[in-house]
Amino acid sequence: MSPMPQRSAKITVPSNLYTAILAVAFGAVVATAAYVAFRCYTQYGTIFGMP
Amino acid sequence: MSTLTKVLIVLLTVFSIFLCGIVVTYVVNADNYREMAETRRRELAAARNASQAAQNDLADAKEQADQMRRDMEARMNELRVTISDLETRLESIQRENTQMAQRVRDMGASVQQANELQASQMQQAQTSQQRVAALEAERTRLSRELAETDQALMERMAVVAQLEEKTRQLTEANQDLESRLNQYLRQYGKAAAAPATVTPRTGIVQPAAPLARDIDLTARVTAVDINNALAELSIGSAAGVRTGMVFHVTRGQQYVCDIRILEVGPDQSVGILERIQVPPRVGDTAATNL
Repeated sequence: MSPMPQRSAKITVPSNLYTAILAVAFGAVVATAAYVAFRCYTQYGTIFGMP
Repeated sequence: MSTLTKVLIVLLTVFSIFLCGIVVTYVVNADNYREMAETRRRELAAARNASQAAQNDLADAKEQADQMRRDMEARMNELRVTISDLETRLESIQRENTQMAQRVRDMGASVQQANELQASQMQQAQTSQQRVAALEAERTRLSRELAETDQALMERMAVVAQLEEKTRQLTEANQDLESRLNQYLRQYGKAAAAPATVTPRTGIVQPAAPLARDIDLTARVTAVDINNALAELSIGSAAGVRTGMVFHVTRGQQYVCDIRILEVGPDQSVGILERIQVPPRVGDTAATNL
């Protein structure tokens, strides 16, 4: 999958666009999880158990 | 990088962002059940407290109601007694009212009778005044006749005085003659009787009264003094014995003597013995008439 130069293939510039997109998606998921954990802790005093 | 990988990356990112947005929206809009539970718990405790307070208030209200009911019953009893007394007084007052009404009717009838009586008396008074006027005239006439009668009476009174004087003189002469006659008759055991009147009485024929009557006294000889010729008899002035009377003494059928009374006591008398046939003894009978 690495952009190894081949003889018969044309030369393409490596792009980190999709990495950035994945990072955005990861960041959104992390932020959502952190927000949900914060709300659970502030409202019920625990994150995973029953109050 | 293949196209499929790129497509998957893009889809993964889009779905991740979409899912995260949904989760965040849900979490933001989700209810705070703990806070709601705390609120409900506090509301429940407040409701229980309110219920307890309401029950206490209810018990107090019931107690007050019972107390008021007892007070009201006591007051009702008092009012019943008062009503009974008032009914009794009402009946008494009604009876008094009836009696007073009857008295008023009676008094009305009495007033009417009094008015009628007054009218009758007024008429009688007028009649009486007329009679008084007539009687006054009669009295004047009688007064005049009375004056004339007084004059005649004075003249007759003078005549009566003269007759009374003459009657007194005749009475004294009669008494003197009667005393002399009695003194004479006593020695014979007799006394003067009341003279018969000269004017004859009308009515049943009566026998003429005798001129003398028997004294008819009987006694016992209680003591004898033969030496002084004295004897004592058992009766005196209380029985009618007078000085000068003569008692004939007998003993059975035998004549003994006579006793002329010299001194008289209340229940005994003393006389001198006369015409002695035999000596008298105590116990002999002495009588004024044989």
